Amino acid sequence: MTAATVAGATGSTVSEGARALWTLALVLGGTTVALVALDAMPTWLHGQPRGVRRAATVEDAERRIQSRVLLPSYFPDTLRWPPAEVRFTRDGGGSVALTFLGTDGAPDLVLAQTVAGAGPIPDGLHGRLAVIQQQSAPLGDDAVLSRVVAEDGTLWSQLEWTRGGRRFLLRGRGSLENLIRMARSIHGERR
Amino acid sequence: MNGQRWIDFAGQAIFHTLVAALVVEALVRLWGVRQPEQRTGFRLLALGWPLLVVPALFLAFPGREEESFRDARAIFAGRHWDDLAFLGIGLYGWWIGIMSAAGLGLFLLDLVPWLRARNVRPPPWIPGAPGSRPAEEALSRAAAALGIAPPGLAWVEGGPPVLFCTGTRNPRVVTSSSAVELLDRDELAAALAHELAHLERRDPTLSWALMGARALMWFNPGVQVLVRAIARDAERTADERAGQACGDRLALASGLLKLYRATEGRGRGAGAGSRPLSAALAEPIARARAHDIELRCRALLGPPPAPVPLARLRLAAAAAGLGLLLFFVV
Repeated sequence: MTAATVAGATGSTVSEGARALWTLALVLGGTTVALVALDAMPTWLHGQPRGVRRAATVEDAERRIQSRVLLPSYFPDTLRWPPAEVRFTRDGGGSVALTFLGTDGAPDLVLAQTVAGAGPIPDGLHGRLAVIQQQSAPLGDDAVLSRVVAEDGTLWSQLEWTRGGRRFLLRGRGSLENLIRMARSIHGERR
Repeated sequence: MNGQRWIDFAGQAIFHTLVAALVVEALVRLWGVRQPEQRTGFRLLALGWPLLVVPALFLAFPGREEESFRDARAIFAGRHWDDLAFLGIGLYGWWIGIMSAAGLGLFLLDLVPWLRARNVRPPPWIPGAPGSRPAEEALSRAAAALGIAPPGLAWVEGGPPVLFCTGTRNPRVVTSSSAVELLDRDELAAALAHELAHLERRDPTLSWALMGARALMWFNPGVQVLVRAIARDAERTADERAGQACGDRLALASGLLKLYRATEGRGRGAGAGSRPLSAALAEPIARARAHDIELRCRALLGPPPAPVPLARLRLAAAAAGLGLLLFFVV
Protein backbone atom coordinates (compact mmCIF):
# COMPACT_ATOMS: atom_id res chain seq x y z
CA MET A 1 0.00 0.00 0.00
CA THR A 2 1.45 3.35 -0.99
CA ALA A 3 1.53 6.46 1.20
CA ALA A 4 -1.02 8.10 -1.12
CA THR A 5 -3.43 5.17 -0.69
CA VAL A 6 -3.07 5.28 3.11
CA ALA A 7 -3.63 9.05 3.11
CA GLY A 8 -6.68 8.60 0.86
CA ALA A 9 -8.15 5.93 3.14
CA THR A 10 -7.54 8.07 6.25
CA GLY A 11 -9.14 11.08 4.58
CA SER A 12 -12.14 9.00 3.57
CA THR A 13 -12.53 7.69 7.14
CA VAL A 14 -12.31 11.21 8.58
CA SER A 15 -14.93 12.55 6.16
CA GLU A 16 -17.15 9.52 6.83
CA GLY A 17 -16.84 10.17 10.57
CA ALA A 18 -17.59 13.86 10.13
CA ARG A 19 -20.68 13.05 8.03
CA ALA A 20 -21.86 10.58 10.67
CA LEU A 21 -21.43 13.14 13.45
CA TRP A 22 -23.26 15.78 11.41
CA THR A 23 -26.18 13.39 10.87
CA LEU A 24 -26.20 12.57 14.59
CA ALA A 25 -26.23 16.26 15.47
CA LEU A 26 -29.15 16.85 13.09
CA VAL A 27 -31.18 13.96 14.52
CA LEU A 28 -30.51 14.96 18.13
CA GLY A 29 -31.16 18.62 17.33
CA GLY A 30 -34.47 17.77 15.68
CA THR A 31 -35.42 15.59 18.63
CA THR A 32 -34.57 18.39 21.07
CA VAL A 33 -36.73 20.88 19.16
CA ALA A 34 -39.61 18.39 19.09
CA LEU A 35 -39.28 17.75 22.84
CA VAL A 36 -39.15 21.46 23.69
CA ALA A 37 -42.27 22.03 21.55
CA LEU A 38 -44.03 19.10 23.23
CA ASP A 39 -43.12 20.50 26.64
CA ALA A 40 -44.46 23.95 25.77
CA MET A 41 -47.72 22.62 24.38
CA PRO A 42 -49.73 22.37 27.67
CA THR A 43 -48.85 25.99 28.48
CA TRP A 44 -49.77 27.03 24.94
CA LEU A 45 -53.07 25.12 25.06
CA HIS A 46 -53.89 26.91 28.31
CA GLY A 47 -53.11 30.22 26.64
CA GLN A 48 -50.51 30.99 29.27
CA PRO A 49 -47.35 32.95 28.54
CA ARG A 50 -44.01 31.16 28.36
CA GLY A 51 -42.53 30.34 31.74
CA VAL A 52 -45.87 30.51 33.57
CA ARG A 53 -46.95 27.23 35.17
CA ARG A 54 -50.13 26.15 36.89
CA ALA A 55 -50.18 24.55 40.32
CA ALA A 56 -53.00 22.53 41.77
CA THR A 57 -53.05 24.30 45.14
CA VAL A 58 -51.33 27.11 47.01
CA GLU A 59 -49.29 24.48 48.88
CA ASP A 60 -48.25 22.93 45.56
CA ALA A 61 -47.09 26.33 44.32
CA GLU A 62 -45.20 26.94 47.59
CA ARG A 63 -43.45 23.59 47.21
CA ARG A 64 -42.52 24.25 43.62
CA ILE A 65 -41.13 27.74 44.16
CA GLN A 66 -39.78 26.77 47.59
CA SER A 67 -41.18 29.82 49.33
CA ARG A 68 -44.23 30.77 51.40
CA VAL A 69 -47.05 32.65 49.70
CA LEU A 70 -48.40 35.47 51.88
CA LEU A 71 -52.20 35.40 52.11
CA PRO A 72 -54.64 37.95 53.54
CA SER A 73 -56.08 37.09 56.93
CA TYR A 74 -59.16 39.13 56.00
CA PHE A 75 -61.20 37.35 53.35
CA PRO A 76 -64.63 38.77 52.50
CA ASP A 77 -67.65 36.48 52.15
CA THR A 78 -68.10 37.59 48.56
CA LEU A 79 -65.09 35.49 47.52
CA ARG A 80 -64.77 31.74 47.16
CA TRP A 81 -61.93 29.80 48.79
CA PRO A 82 -59.74 28.05 47.58
CA PRO A 83 -58.40 30.03 44.63
CA ALA A 84 -59.75 28.89 41.29
CA GLU A 85 -56.37 29.25 39.64
CA VAL A 86 -52.84 29.19 41.03
CA ARG A 87 -50.12 30.22 38.62
CA PHE A 88 -46.45 30.75 39.22
CA THR A 89 -43.25 31.58 37.38
CA ARG A 90 -39.61 31.21 38.27
CA ASP A 91 -38.69 34.26 36.20
CA GLY A 92 -37.24 37.19 38.17
CA GLY A 93 -36.68 35.11 41.30
CA GLY A 94 -40.20 33.68 41.34
CA SER A 95 -43.74 35.06 41.54
CA VAL A 96 -47.20 33.65 42.26
CA ALA A 97 -50.67 34.77 41.22
CA LEU A 98 -53.93 33.51 42.74
CA THR A 99 -57.29 34.08 41.08
CA PHE A 100 -60.38 33.97 43.30
CA LEU A 101 -63.92 33.66 42.03
CA GLY A 102 -66.78 35.64 43.41
CA THR A 103 -70.03 34.07 44.61
CA ASP A 104 -71.38 34.62 41.07
CA GLY A 105 -68.66 32.28 39.70
CA ALA A 106 -66.77 35.02 37.82
CA PRO A 107 -63.17 36.06 38.58
CA ASP A 108 -63.38 38.63 41.35
CA LEU A 109 -59.91 39.03 42.81
CA VAL A 110 -56.30 38.54 41.72
CA LEU A 111 -53.50 38.45 44.28
CA ALA A 112 -49.98 38.40 42.82
CA GLN A 113 -46.66 38.67 44.61
CA THR A 114 -42.96 38.11 44.11
CA VAL A 115 -41.36 35.61 46.47
CA ALA A 116 -37.77 36.85 46.24
CA GLY A 117 -36.95 40.48 45.59
CA ALA A 118 -39.00 43.59 45.13
CA GLY A 119 -38.67 43.56 41.35
CA PRO A 120 -41.72 43.82 39.15
CA ILE A 121 -44.21 40.96 39.01
CA PRO A 122 -44.07 39.54 35.45
CA ASP A 123 -47.03 40.83 33.43
CA GLY A 124 -47.68 37.35 32.01
CA LEU A 125 -48.65 36.13 35.45
CA HIS A 126 -51.58 38.43 36.11
CA GLY A 127 -52.18 40.16 32.78
CA ARG A 128 -51.35 43.86 32.62
CA LEU A 129 -54.52 45.95 32.17
CA ALA A 130 -54.92 49.48 30.84
CA VAL A 131 -54.69 52.08 33.62
CA ILE A 132 -57.24 54.85 33.43
CA GLN A 133 -56.61 56.55 36.78
CA GLN A 134 -53.77 56.37 39.30
CA GLN A 135 -53.04 57.81 42.75
CA SER A 136 -50.94 57.01 45.80
CA ALA A 137 -52.41 54.57 48.31
CA PRO A 138 -52.15 54.40 52.12
CA LEU A 139 -49.96 51.28 52.15
CA GLY A 140 -46.44 52.66 51.99
CA ASP A 141 -44.25 55.09 50.10
CA ASP A 142 -44.45 53.40 46.71
CA ALA A 143 -48.04 52.13 47.01
CA VAL A 144 -50.23 52.95 44.03
CA LEU A 145 -53.96 52.66 43.69
CA SER A 146 -55.25 52.44 40.11
CA ARG A 147 -58.47 52.02 38.24
CA VAL A 148 -57.86 49.56 35.42
CA VAL A 149 -60.05 48.35 32.62
CA ALA A 150 -60.18 44.70 31.53
CA GLU A 151 -60.51 43.45 27.93
CA ASP A 152 -64.24 42.91 28.45
CA GLY A 153 -64.61 46.54 29.54
CA THR A 154 -65.15 45.91 33.26
CA LEU A 155 -63.48 48.26 35.71
CA TRP A 156 -61.23 46.90 38.47
CA SER A 157 -59.41 48.50 41.37
CA GLN A 158 -55.76 47.65 41.64
CA LEU A 159 -53.29 48.11 44.47
CA GLU A 160 -49.53 47.74 43.99
CA TRP A 161 -47.02 48.09 46.80
CA THR A 162 -43.72 46.80 48.18
CA ARG A 163 -43.26 45.46 51.69
CA GLY A 164 -40.68 43.15 53.32
CA GLY A 165 -38.66 42.84 50.14
CA ARG A 166 -41.65 41.64 48.11
CA ARG A 167 -43.77 43.27 45.47
CA PHE A 168 -47.55 42.80 45.77
CA LEU A 169 -50.48 43.34 43.44
CA LEU A 170 -54.11 43.07 44.50
CA ARG A 171 -56.80 43.61 41.90
CA GLY A 172 -60.50 43.30 42.62
CA ARG A 173 -63.94 44.10 41.32
CA GLY A 174 -65.38 44.62 44.80
CA SER A 175 -65.29 47.63 47.06
CA LEU A 176 -62.09 49.60 47.44
CA GLU A 177 -62.43 49.45 51.21
CA ASN A 178 -62.36 45.65 51.16
CA LEU A 179 -59.36 45.69 48.85
CA ILE A 180 -57.34 47.94 51.16
CA ARG A 181 -58.40 45.93 54.20
CA MET A 182 -57.26 42.70 52.53
CA ALA A 183 -53.95 44.31 51.54
CA ARG A 184 -53.32 45.43 55.11
CA SER A 185 -54.26 42.01 56.51
CA ILE A 186 -51.52 40.39 54.42
CA HIS A 187 -49.05 42.17 56.71
CA GLY A 188 -50.99 41.57 59.90
CA GLU A 189 -52.55 45.04 60.04
CA ARG A 190 -56.16 45.09 61.23
CA ARG A 191 -57.41 48.25 59.44
CA MET B 1 -39.71 4.56 46.42
CA ASN B 2 -43.23 5.85 46.99
CA GLY B 3 -46.11 5.45 44.54
CA GLN B 4 -45.48 8.79 42.87
CA ARG B 5 -41.82 7.90 42.25
CA TRP B 6 -42.85 4.57 40.70
CA ILE B 7 -45.24 6.38 38.37
CA ASP B 8 -42.49 8.85 37.45
CA PHE B 9 -40.13 5.92 36.87
CA ALA B 10 -42.63 4.12 34.64
CA GLY B 11 -43.36 7.32 32.71
CA GLN B 12 -39.70 8.07 32.15
CA ALA B 13 -38.90 4.46 31.22
CA ILE B 14 -41.65 4.51 28.58
CA PHE B 15 -40.81 7.96 27.24
CA HIS B 16 -37.03 7.44 27.19
CA THR B 17 -37.49 4.14 25.34
CA LEU B 18 -39.68 5.81 22.72
CA VAL B 19 -37.21 8.66 22.18
CA ALA B 20 -34.17 6.34 22.20
CA ALA B 21 -35.87 3.90 19.79
CA LEU B 22 -36.94 6.67 17.39
CA VAL B 23 -33.48 8.26 17.42
CA VAL B 24 -31.79 4.89 16.90
CA GLU B 25 -34.13 3.92 14.05
CA ALA B 26 -33.56 7.30 12.37
CA LEU B 27 -29.78 6.87 12.68
CA VAL B 28 -29.89 3.29 11.40
CA ARG B 29 -31.69 4.49 8.28
CA LEU B 30 -29.72 7.70 7.73
CA TRP B 31 -26.37 6.01 8.31
CA GLY B 32 -27.40 3.10 6.07
CA VAL B 33 -26.77 0.39 8.68
CA ARG B 34 -27.90 -2.72 6.78
CA GLN B 35 -25.89 -5.49 8.38
CA PRO B 36 -28.28 -7.16 10.85
CA GLU B 37 -25.58 -7.69 13.49
CA GLN B 38 -24.79 -3.98 13.51
CA ARG B 39 -28.50 -3.12 13.62
CA THR B 40 -28.83 -5.34 16.68
CA GLY B 41 -26.09 -3.32 18.39
CA PHE B 42 -27.98 -0.08 17.84
CA ARG B 43 -31.30 -1.57 18.94
CA LEU B 44 -29.71 -3.02 22.05
CA LEU B 45 -28.66 0.54 22.92
CA ALA B 46 -32.32 1.61 22.85
CA LEU B 47 -33.39 -1.53 24.73
CA GLY B 48 -30.74 -1.04 27.40
CA TRP B 49 -31.97 2.48 28.09
CA PRO B 50 -35.02 1.68 30.25
CA LEU B 51 -33.33 -1.36 31.76
CA LEU B 52 -30.04 0.22 32.79
CA VAL B 53 -29.82 3.96 32.17
CA VAL B 54 -33.20 5.08 33.55
CA PRO B 55 -32.72 3.22 36.89
CA ALA B 56 -29.16 4.58 37.05
CA LEU B 57 -30.42 8.14 36.48
CA PHE B 58 -33.00 7.70 39.24
CA LEU B 59 -30.42 6.40 41.69
CA ALA B 60 -27.48 8.66 40.81
CA PHE B 61 -29.34 11.92 40.16
CA PRO B 62 -32.33 12.21 42.51
CA GLY B 63 -32.25 15.97 41.88
CA ARG B 64 -33.70 15.33 38.42
CA GLU B 65 -37.00 14.46 40.07
CA GLU B 66 -37.28 17.73 41.96
CA GLU B 67 -39.75 20.41 40.92
CA SER B 68 -36.99 22.96 40.37
CA PHE B 69 -35.25 20.72 37.81
CA ARG B 70 -38.56 19.90 36.14
CA ASP B 71 -39.64 23.53 35.84
CA ALA B 72 -36.34 25.26 35.14
CA ARG B 73 -33.84 22.85 33.57
CA ALA B 74 -35.71 20.01 31.86
CA ILE B 75 -36.29 20.35 28.13
CA PHE B 76 -39.31 18.08 28.53
CA ALA B 77 -41.21 17.21 31.70
CA GLY B 78 -44.09 14.79 31.38
CA ARG B 79 -45.71 16.19 34.53
CA HIS B 80 -46.29 19.50 32.73
CA TRP B 81 -48.98 17.64 30.77
CA ASP B 82 -50.78 17.07 34.06
CA ASP B 83 -51.72 20.77 33.83
CA LEU B 84 -54.35 19.54 31.37
CA ALA B 85 -56.85 17.13 32.86
CA PHE B 86 -59.57 14.86 31.51
CA LEU B 87 -62.15 13.36 33.90
CA GLY B 88 -60.08 14.67 36.78
CA ILE B 89 -56.91 12.85 35.73
CA GLY B 90 -53.93 14.68 34.23
CA LEU B 91 -53.06 13.88 30.60
CA TYR B 92 -49.65 12.55 31.67
CA GLY B 93 -51.43 10.03 33.90
CA TRP B 94 -53.70 9.05 30.99
CA TRP B 95 -50.70 8.67 28.71
CA ILE B 96 -48.87 6.39 31.18
CA GLY B 97 -52.04 4.32 31.62
CA ILE B 98 -52.67 3.91 27.89
CA MET B 99 -49.02 3.11 27.15
CA SER B 100 -48.92 0.55 29.97
CA ALA B 101 -52.04 -1.12 28.60
CA ALA B 102 -50.46 -1.21 25.13
CA GLY B 103 -47.23 -2.67 26.58
CA LEU B 104 -49.13 -5.35 28.48
CA GLY B 105 -51.17 -6.18 25.37
CA LEU B 106 -48.05 -6.62 23.24
CA PHE B 107 -46.41 -8.73 25.95
CA LEU B 108 -49.45 -11.00 26.31
CA LEU B 109 -49.72 -11.31 22.53
CA ASP B 110 -46.50 -13.34 22.60
CA LEU B 111 -46.68 -14.77 26.13
CA VAL B 112 -50.08 -16.46 25.78
CA PRO B 113 -49.22 -18.48 22.60
CA TRP B 114 -45.87 -19.37 24.17
CA LEU B 115 -47.55 -20.69 27.34
CA ARG B 116 -50.10 -22.57 25.23
CA ALA B 117 -47.31 -24.14 23.17
CA ARG B 118 -45.63 -25.35 26.37
CA ASN B 119 -48.82 -27.21 27.31
CA VAL B 120 -48.91 -29.09 23.99
CA ARG B 121 -47.04 -32.39 24.32
CA PRO B 122 -44.41 -32.58 21.53
CA PRO B 123 -44.06 -35.71 19.39
CA PRO B 124 -41.48 -38.17 20.78
CA TRP B 125 -37.84 -37.41 19.98
CA ILE B 126 -36.05 -40.44 18.68
CA PRO B 127 -32.28 -40.24 19.03
CA GLY B 128 -30.34 -42.14 16.37
CA ALA B 129 -33.43 -43.07 14.32
CA PRO B 130 -32.66 -44.70 10.95
CA GLY B 131 -34.39 -41.97 8.98
CA SER B 132 -32.35 -39.25 10.60
CA ARG B 133 -29.07 -40.16 8.90
CA PRO B 134 -29.34 -37.58 6.04
CA ALA B 135 -30.08 -34.86 8.60
CA GLU B 136 -27.17 -35.96 10.82
CA GLU B 137 -24.79 -35.92 7.85
CA ALA B 138 -26.05 -32.50 6.74
CA LEU B 139 -25.72 -31.22 10.31
CA SER B 140 -22.11 -32.41 10.53
CA ARG B 141 -21.28 -30.75 7.21
CA ALA B 142 -22.95 -27.50 8.27
CA ALA B 143 -21.16 -27.55 11.63
CA ALA B 144 -17.83 -28.09 9.89
CA ALA B 145 -18.56 -25.17 7.53
CA LEU B 146 -19.30 -22.95 10.52
CA GLY B 147 -16.27 -24.25 12.43
CA ILE B 148 -18.21 -25.47 15.45
CA ALA B 149 -18.80 -28.89 17.04
CA PRO B 150 -22.08 -30.43 15.84
CA PRO B 151 -24.74 -30.36 18.56
CA GLY B 152 -27.11 -33.24 19.25
CA LEU B 153 -29.92 -33.85 16.78
CA ALA B 154 -33.40 -34.52 18.11
CA TRP B 155 -35.44 -36.39 15.55
CA VAL B 156 -39.19 -36.30 15.27
CA GLU B 157 -40.83 -39.00 13.17
CA GLY B 158 -43.85 -37.81 11.19
CA GLY B 159 -45.98 -34.81 12.07
CA PRO B 160 -45.61 -31.40 10.47
CA PRO B 161 -42.19 -30.21 9.25
CA VAL B 162 -40.15 -28.77 12.12
CA LEU B 163 -36.64 -27.37 12.13
CA PHE B 164 -35.46 -25.30 15.06
CA CYS B 165 -32.77 -25.09 17.69
CA THR B 166 -33.29 -25.18 21.42
CA GLY B 167 -31.44 -25.44 24.72
CA THR B 168 -29.26 -23.06 26.65
CA ARG B 169 -27.02 -25.53 28.52
CA ASN B 170 -27.61 -28.54 26.28
CA PRO B 171 -28.17 -27.07 22.81
CA ARG B 172 -29.55 -29.23 20.03
CA VAL B 173 -31.25 -28.98 16.69
CA VAL B 174 -34.72 -30.46 16.35
CA THR B 175 -35.96 -31.61 12.97
CA SER B 176 -38.49 -34.04 11.62
CA SER B 177 -38.77 -36.63 8.89
CA SER B 178 -41.29 -34.45 7.05
CA ALA B 179 -38.84 -31.50 7.03
CA VAL B 180 -36.11 -33.72 5.54
CA GLU B 181 -38.57 -34.97 2.91
CA LEU B 182 -39.70 -31.42 2.13
CA LEU B 183 -36.26 -29.88 1.59
CA ASP B 184 -33.69 -30.86 -0.99
CA ARG B 185 -30.08 -31.55 0.02
CA ASP B 186 -28.81 -27.96 -0.33
CA GLU B 187 -31.87 -26.46 1.32
CA LEU B 188 -31.56 -28.82 4.27
CA ALA B 189 -27.86 -28.02 4.69
CA ALA B 190 -28.57 -24.27 4.55
CA ALA B 191 -31.51 -24.50 6.96
CA LEU B 192 -29.45 -26.55 9.42
CA ALA B 193 -26.58 -24.04 9.09
CA HIS B 194 -29.08 -21.31 9.96
CA GLU B 195 -30.04 -23.13 13.18
CA LEU B 196 -26.37 -23.78 14.00
CA ALA B 197 -25.66 -20.09 13.52
CA HIS B 198 -28.29 -19.41 16.20
CA LEU B 199 -26.55 -21.85 18.54
CA GLU B 200 -23.13 -20.38 17.69
CA ARG B 201 -24.41 -16.94 18.76
CA ARG B 202 -26.16 -18.43 21.84
CA ASP B 203 -29.47 -17.07 20.59
CA PRO B 204 -31.59 -19.44 22.75
CA THR B 205 -29.96 -17.88 25.84
CA LEU B 206 -30.42 -14.41 24.37
CA SER B 207 -34.11 -15.12 23.72
CA TRP B 208 -34.61 -16.02 27.40
CA ALA B 209 -32.84 -12.82 28.42
CA LEU B 210 -35.04 -10.82 26.06
CA MET B 211 -38.16 -12.51 27.42
CA GLY B 212 -36.98 -11.56 30.91
CA ALA B 213 -36.54 -7.97 29.78
CA ARG B 214 -40.05 -8.00 28.32
CA ALA B 215 -41.50 -9.38 31.55
CA LEU B 216 -39.62 -6.78 33.61
CA MET B 217 -40.81 -3.99 31.30
CA TRP B 218 -44.29 -5.39 30.65
CA PHE B 219 -45.71 -1.85 30.84
CA ASN B 220 -43.33 -0.47 28.22
CA PRO B 221 -44.58 -0.82 24.61
CA GLY B 222 -41.25 0.44 23.25
CA VAL B 223 -39.42 -2.48 24.88
CA GLN B 224 -41.94 -4.97 23.49
CA VAL B 225 -41.48 -3.62 19.95
CA LEU B 226 -37.69 -3.37 20.26
CA VAL B 227 -37.36 -6.98 21.43
CA ARG B 228 -39.36 -8.13 18.40
CA ALA B 229 -37.07 -6.09 16.13
CA ILE B 230 -33.99 -7.62 17.80
CA ALA B 231 -35.47 -11.11 17.34
CA ARG B 232 -35.94 -10.35 13.62
CA ASP B 233 -32.34 -9.11 13.47
CA ALA B 234 -31.22 -12.40 15.09
CA GLU B 235 -32.96 -14.32 12.28
CA ARG B 236 -31.35 -12.13 9.64
CA THR B 237 -27.93 -12.51 11.29
CA ALA B 238 -28.32 -16.31 11.31
CA ASP B 239 -29.39 -16.14 7.64
CA GLU B 240 -26.26 -14.19 6.74
CA ARG B 241 -23.99 -16.50 8.72
CA ALA B 242 -25.57 -19.60 7.16
CA GLY B 243 -25.34 -18.08 3.67
CA GLN B 244 -21.69 -17.27 4.26
CA ALA B 245 -20.92 -20.77 5.59
CA CYS B 246 -22.83 -22.70 2.92
CA GLY B 247 -22.14 -20.33 0.07
CA ASP B 248 -25.68 -20.83 -1.24
CA ARG B 249 -27.99 -18.01 -0.18
CA LEU B 250 -30.68 -19.03 -2.65
CA ALA B 251 -30.96 -22.51 -1.16
CA LEU B 252 -31.59 -20.96 2.26
CA ALA B 253 -34.24 -18.61 0.84
CA SER B 254 -35.91 -21.51 -0.95
CA GLY B 255 -35.83 -23.72 2.18
CA LEU B 256 -37.22 -20.87 4.24
CA LEU B 257 -40.15 -20.42 1.87
CA LYS B 258 -40.90 -24.13 1.73
CA LEU B 259 -40.90 -24.48 5.51
CA TYR B 260 -43.05 -21.37 5.88
CA ARG B 261 -45.62 -22.64 3.37
CA ALA B 262 -45.71 -26.05 5.01
CA THR B 263 -46.13 -24.69 8.52
CA GLU B 264 -48.28 -21.59 7.92
CA GLY B 265 -51.42 -21.74 10.07
CA ARG B 266 -50.16 -24.75 12.01
CA GLY B 267 -50.90 -24.74 15.73
CA ARG B 268 -54.19 -22.83 15.62
CA GLY B 269 -56.67 -24.50 17.90
CA ALA B 270 -60.05 -25.45 16.53
CA GLY B 271 -62.35 -22.49 16.70
CA ALA B 272 -59.56 -20.06 17.59
CA GLY B 273 -60.40 -17.97 14.57
CA SER B 274 -64.01 -17.70 15.61
CA ARG B 275 -63.20 -15.96 18.91
CA PRO B 276 -63.59 -12.23 18.30
CA LEU B 277 -60.15 -11.10 19.56
CA SER B 278 -58.11 -13.93 18.07
CA ALA B 279 -60.00 -13.65 14.79
CA ALA B 280 -59.26 -9.93 14.67
CA LEU B 281 -55.58 -10.44 15.51
CA ALA B 282 -54.94 -13.57 13.42
CA GLU B 283 -54.98 -11.79 10.08
CA PRO B 284 -52.55 -8.94 10.89
CA ILE B 285 -50.20 -11.31 12.75
CA ALA B 286 -50.17 -13.74 9.80
CA ARG B 287 -49.53 -10.82 7.45
CA ALA B 288 -46.66 -9.55 9.62
CA ARG B 289 -45.09 -13.02 9.66
CA ALA B 290 -45.41 -13.32 5.90
CA HIS B 291 -43.82 -9.88 5.55
CA ASP B 292 -40.90 -10.95 7.75
CA ILE B 293 -40.30 -14.04 5.60
CA GLU B 294 -40.55 -11.94 2.43
CA LEU B 295 -37.97 -9.46 3.74
CA ARG B 296 -35.60 -12.26 4.74
CA CYS B 297 -35.92 -13.92 1.33
CA ARG B 298 -35.39 -10.60 -0.46
CA ALA B 299 -32.26 -10.00 1.60
CA LEU B 300 -30.97 -13.47 0.72
CA LEU B 301 -31.57 -12.89 -3.00
CA GLY B 302 -29.11 -9.99 -2.91
CA PRO B 303 -25.48 -9.94 -1.90
CA PRO B 304 -24.51 -9.86 1.80
CA PRO B 305 -24.92 -6.31 3.18
CA ALA B 306 -21.66 -4.44 3.69
CA PRO B 307 -20.88 -3.33 7.23
CA VAL B 308 -21.04 0.40 7.83
CA PRO B 309 -17.61 1.86 8.68
CA LEU B 310 -16.83 3.21 12.18
CA ALA B 311 -19.77 1.30 13.64
CA ARG B 312 -18.46 1.31 17.23
CA LEU B 313 -17.65 5.00 17.07
CA ARG B 314 -21.16 5.73 15.76
CA LEU B 315 -22.69 3.61 18.50
CA ALA B 316 -20.63 5.37 21.19
CA ALA B 317 -21.50 8.79 19.78
CA ALA B 318 -25.20 7.90 19.63
CA ALA B 319 -25.09 6.65 23.25
CA ALA B 320 -23.33 9.81 24.43
CA GLY B 321 -25.71 12.08 22.52
CA LEU B 322 -28.78 10.25 23.82
CA GLY B 323 -27.37 10.36 27.34
CA LEU B 324 -26.91 14.10 27.18
CA LEU B 325 -30.37 14.65 25.68
CA LEU B 326 -32.37 12.32 27.88
CA PHE B 327 -30.76 13.54 31.10
CA PHE B 328 -32.95 16.61 30.64
CA VAL B 329 -36.10 14.64 29.86
CA VAL B 330 -38.05 13.82 33.03
